[in-house]
Amino acid sequence: MLEFWLFVLATAGIYTIFSLGLLVQFGIAGLPNFGNGAFMAISAYAMAISVVNGLPMWAAAPVGIGAAVLFGLLLAIPTVRLRSDYLAVATIAAGEIVRYLALNLQELTGGAAGTVNLLGPGIAADYNSSWLRFQSGVRGLISNLVGQRVPSDVAFIAILWPVALLLLAAVWYMVRSPWGRTLRAIREDETAVAALGKDVFAYKLQAFSVGAALAGVAGLFFAWQVSSFSPDDFRPTLTFYAFVIVILGGKTNVWAVPVGAVLFAGIFAGTRFLDFWPLSVFASGDRAYLRLVLVGLGLIVLVIWRPQGIFGNRREDALET
Amino acid sequence: MIAPDLALHATGIAAGYGDARILHGVDIKVIQGTIVTIMGPNGSGKSTLLKTIVGLVRHLAGTTLIRGRDGQPVDITRSKPYGLAALGLSYVPQTANVFADMSVLENLQLGGLPLGGGGALFQQRLATVLELFPVVSGRLASRAGTLSGGQRQMLAMARALITDPVLLLLDEPSAGVQPDFVDQIFSKIREFSQLGLSVLIVEQKARQSLAFSDYAYVLEMGRNRFEGTGRELLHDPAIIDLYLGAGRKPAATRTEAQDVRILP
Amino acid sequence: MLDQLLQLVFNGLVTGSIFAIGAIGASLVWGVLRIGNFAHGDYMALGAFTTFTANVLLGLPLVVSALLGVAATSLFAVLAHQLVLKPMRGRGLTSVFIVTVGLAFVIRNTLFLVFGSGARRFDIDQAEVYVVGPIRMSPGQAITIVCALIAIGLVGWLLSSTNIGRSMRAVAENSDLAAVTGVDTDGLATITWLITGALAGLAGICLGLVQGTFDASFGAYTLFLIFTAVVLGGIGSAYGALGGGLALGLVMEVSTWDGFAGGLDPRYKLILAFIALILMLLVRPEGLFGKARIV
Ligand SMILES: Nc1ncnc2c1ncn2[C@@H]1O[C@H](COP(=O)(O)OP(=O)(O)OP(=O)(O)O)[C@@H](O)[C@H]1O
Ligand SMILES: [Mg+2]
Repeated sequence: MLEFWLFVLATAGIYTIFSLGLLVQFGIAGLPNFGNGAFMAISAYAMAISVVNGLPMWAAAPVGIGAAVLFGLLLAIPTVRLRSDYLAVATIAAGEIVRYLALNLQELTGGAAGTVNLLGPGIAADYNSSWLRFQSGVRGLISNLVGQRVPSDVAFIAILWPVALLLLAAVWYMVRSPWGRTLRAIREDETAVAALGKDVFAYKLQAFSVGAALAGVAGLFFAWQVSSFSPDDFRPTLTFYAFVIVILGGKTNVWAVPVGAVLFAGIFAGTRFLDFWPLSVFASGDRAYLRLVLVGLGLIVLVIWRPQGIFGNRREDALET
Repeated sequence: MIAPDLALHATGIAAGYGDARILHGVDIKVIQGTIVTIMGPNGSGKSTLLKTIVGLVRHLAGTTLIRGRDGQPVDITRSKPYGLAALGLSYVPQTANVFADMSVLENLQLGGLPLGGGGALFQQRLATVLELFPVVSGRLASRAGTLSGGQRQMLAMARALITDPVLLLLDEPSAGVQPDFVDQIFSKIREFSQLGLSVLIVEQKARQSLAFSDYAYVLEMGRNRFEGTGRELLHDPAIIDLYLGAGRKPAATRTEAQDVRILP
Repeated sequence: MLDQLLQLVFNGLVTGSIFAIGAIGASLVWGVLRIGNFAHGDYMALGAFTTFTANVLLGLPLVVSALLGVAATSLFAVLAHQLVLKPMRGRGLTSVFIVTVGLAFVIRNTLFLVFGSGARRFDIDQAEVYVVGPIRMSPGQAITIVCALIAIGLVGWLLSSTNIGRSMRAVAENSDLAAVTGVDTDGLATITWLITGALAGLAGICLGLVQGTFDASFGAYTLFLIFTAVVLGGIGSAYGALGGGLALGLVMEVSTWDGFAGGLDPRYKLILAFIALILMLLVRPEGLFGKARIV
């Protein structure tokens, strides 16, 4: 059972950071970016490629985030002015372009086989040994502290969650700052804000970039947690899940994000553990599908009947746009 | 209840958009067969009032009653907009009042939907409105978007009249129309009224519309401000001062009014 | 090389007409009902799998099965409208998008639950090839061409010459004006879903026939191509979606022709389509054939 909760917490931490990015873009700024998973992918790939080409991990990490922000701007500059449905379709298409490119640019990314093939087939590429060394250092520290050997997941979580909480606090602060208030005003009435002489376009770009950067951070942790990843880890559903998390908590509610993420990760990690009746009727493979049916139903019910999320109560949290 | 001589009776209408309340309890009556004008400054809620009556904007309070085609009173406070044409209530919005991407004939065919398809009744009504609006009849195959402002207004009115309504709501029929067309449009409206149609018209060209109105209301900030017969308001110093422009002499107005007025 | 081009044009027309059939319905609901439907691809899969059930599991003839599949998808679309989408009326575009994402999850994973994750195929001889002049076509392609002609002809007639079609175009242009003109917008929504569902089902069946095999996610993979066709044609324009679908199919196939400097690597066909989609949204959001309108 411990193993289950560690897995849930690790996944939830990554989802928290990723969903925070979406909260800024979608919840605060009103930009429904359905392609945010692509920035996670770009960051993970940029970091992994940099490392196997000789860059130290601590230098490669900012390269990953930088690449995500850069691509974020590249996508945002032409699209943030679009009507929201057009924006949704454009961003999802952009996300798919990134995924297909990653699948097909085999020399660069290792293709469908994933990052083990980063250096070409036959050589097992390894981008996270320095991370693992760092992680096992932390693990040793914690083990000494508690006086017994802890699983390595504990170390991962011990690094991930402080970062996640730091970012949470940062986003919370940003949302309440004049910057965040301006963004919310833009979401409600763009022309009114523009009439006050504010550069609406610049604000939207900033919000989009913040979201991309957070996706970038999530991408790094995702890459470090696994030892090899592939383009299919970044399907559009990844971003859909983040939407579920943000909506679950009420779309502007920063502190609800980790709760939603834990809940969501629990449902996801839980198929192996969801073996009580009536779920036990289904084979474990089928339970994976079943949980997605339930996630879909939950999303429908939530958006129709509780657009303000389960934690949100304010009108502002409601999904009306 | 609606008094026997009324075509429309709206009481205590409150409405708005989202959080913004625009109307705060407006009362309007239209006596059967008369022309009633609503005037007021920009943004006072005139269009919103019409949209609320036809159900495009929800009533937050108040009731709207009309007298249906058969003379029976109908409460349309909660009605869907699409049922009203069949009851005898037609409405021409202020802007975008024709389907610009569709042909003139298609616009009229859509107007005829409440008549139940393209049967003999539709053909007969089509012939009638084309006779009333010769400008339109020459352009049946054109895309409505290619018509001039005045022609569009005519088409919009033709579309509204094809169902042979008993009550017609017009939102600024003179807006965006060349001056020579404006008189034509106003004289059409008088023509219909003489045939027994009740008309509720929102108009900025207050002098002209007051001149041929039996009764008028002035809205301000979503509330009734003044009301009276067209003649009373035309000569009311406060109205002249506020809405008709102070520069012109009442005498001139009177002459103008006498020129165009056809109803007692 | 010319023969290759002709063959590619033919293949492009076949896939293009599948995109077109899918896109017409998607564009109608988007334009008429303001619903960008992320589940549209899954409606297609639903059509394929109900047909598969009748055809393979129950052993009915393909034509009968296809009709059943089309009818089932059509009914499902109406049901989803009544239960899920109608309560969303008056809510924003994004909320509606998200609800359809939920709907997509439900349909796709229910299909996986019921039919498993293996590849499925209809009861049809895949090896057979018809040769017409320089063109070789599979039975699936032949059926698709016939179905496309019938479906597109019917939809064209419906839109141009019937009260229903006129009402749809009217609502797509200005739904408030349509309502006050007397278009029963509630009834029309149901009819629009009936038609859209039927077309989506048909598109899914044809796609299954042309691809040969399919699983429950094959519709979802096609969704973005359908959206691309919708946007190419201008959202809400059924004729545009038809043109957009055909154009997309042709461009994707013909781009691989050796005559174009050896041809585009087929792996990049999809990327080409997505880039076309984004460029369109940026440059001409009103579609290739539409006239300028404010976004
Ligand atoms: N669709 C809408 N959404 C939000 N606010 C609106 C909408 N339509 C009108 N308003 C606001 O409602 C108020 C009243 O508008 P309305 O159109 O009823 O005024 P009006 O009296 O018809 O003015 P005009 O003479 O300019 O036509 C205005 O402040 C306007 O900005
Ligand atoms: Mg107005």
